[in-house]
Amino acid sequence: MKLRKLPSDVHPPLLSPAYTSTVERAPRQRPIPLPAGATELSAPRFDGTVLYPGHDDLTKQVAGGEAAGQRIIVTGRILDENGDPVPNTLVEVWQCNAAGRYHHDKDNHDAPLDPYFRGAGRLLTDAGGQYRFTTIKPGAYPWRNHSNAWRPAHIHFSVFGRTMLERLITQMYFPDDPLLGYDPIFNSVPTERARERLISHFDLGVTQPEWALGFHFDIVLRGQEATPANDE
Amino acid sequence: MAELLITPSQTIGPFFKHGLEWPGGKKLFADAAPGRHVRVAGVVTDYQGQPVPDALIEFWQADAAGQFGAPRQGASAGYGRVPTDGAGRYDIHTVYPGRVPGSDGRLQAPHILVVLFARGLQRQVATRLYFEDDAANGEDPVLALCGARAGTLIAKRDAADAYAWNVSLQGAKETVFFEA
Repeated sequence: MKLRKLPSDVHPPLLSPAYTSTVERAPRQRPIPLPAGATELSAPRFDGTVLYPGHDDLTKQVAGGEAAGQRIIVTGRILDENGDPVPNTLVEVWQCNAAGRYHHDKDNHDAPLDPYFRGAGRLLTDAGGQYRFTTIKPGAYPWRNHSNAWRPAHIHFSVFGRTMLERLITQMYFPDDPLLGYDPIFNSVPTERARERLISHFDLGVTQPEWALGFHFDIVLRGQEATPANDE
Repeated sequence: MAELLITPSQTIGPFFKHGLEWPGGKKLFADAAPGRHVRVAGVVTDYQGQPVPDALIEFWQADAAGQFGAPRQGASAGYGRVPTDGAGRYDIHTVYPGRVPGSDGRLQAPHILVVLFARGLQRQVATRLYFEDDAANGEDPVLALCGARAGTLIAKRDAADAYAWNVSLQGAKETVFFEA
């Protein structure tokens, strides 16, 4: 089994000086091409015990109250680049609160913590590769990359595929966010077409009247190479 | 040409601990799993040799019999996930892996796939961990690809069942990373 060759212009380059931490941490040697063996072409599977009470509703994970902010539903499919769904796969999400503060001891941004919001969720895709969770829209937050730097509102996603080569951690952004034009992390993705992949779409069909706005976000993982047997 | 463009990676960032907590993540197998149980520990460093206290490391390997993915509650056996601590250190408990085939079908030397995420890394870096005293290392085709840098992938025997292996993200002793 072989995966399709990884396109060279989709992932941001490891060394991206506009994102200053990469200067200290990006490996400088060229990666060595590895002919994928059994280890790379397999991956862990996850069962239902990884899901905890409230795993898919970040607004109601803390007893006694509800998270503050704009309630949103986020849904989509995990697909491979051949268009096939990835069922029963683990998706983990995390984000800051509506004020732009993370539930993390190293985040000391001057914005209030929300006692009713931890900001992490866990999902298993269904047989059609679909996931769905409820949360609040994260705020933007300042960071020290450069003067007056702000991260656009984003939700972090961690996704497993059928092989470890498909493993992906990424960030979902929101449409029409003015900060996207200024963000070095988002803009280090080499092409506009690839950057578009990271932006969710407002979807009135996902919106629940008088309850929550809805956003749609598909994630595409690497897929198998076509063979004479599985190609049209 | 694939039908769909794949989604680009973005950095894990510094604040992932509450999102990617994995209790028991340092144990790749149950205590009762067959095989030789060993520990591996080390430190992750940056361009100046300073510790990286905000990395996330994942491990994936075959069991002692060379099989992947035996059922286990939560994640398949052979999977581990640990954040580095304040001193950039990690440690795992695992079973010495059996040999598994490479892309050419030939058995490779025992190894663990290691994937590392961190602030300042735009996407994961992937490498392999081999064991110092394994006789099969000399004929492993992946180690051979690394030439003089192969030593960066080899965990040193610390004690009877403990190995030490450090990751250097950048610099004179930079670890070999792979693309596949």
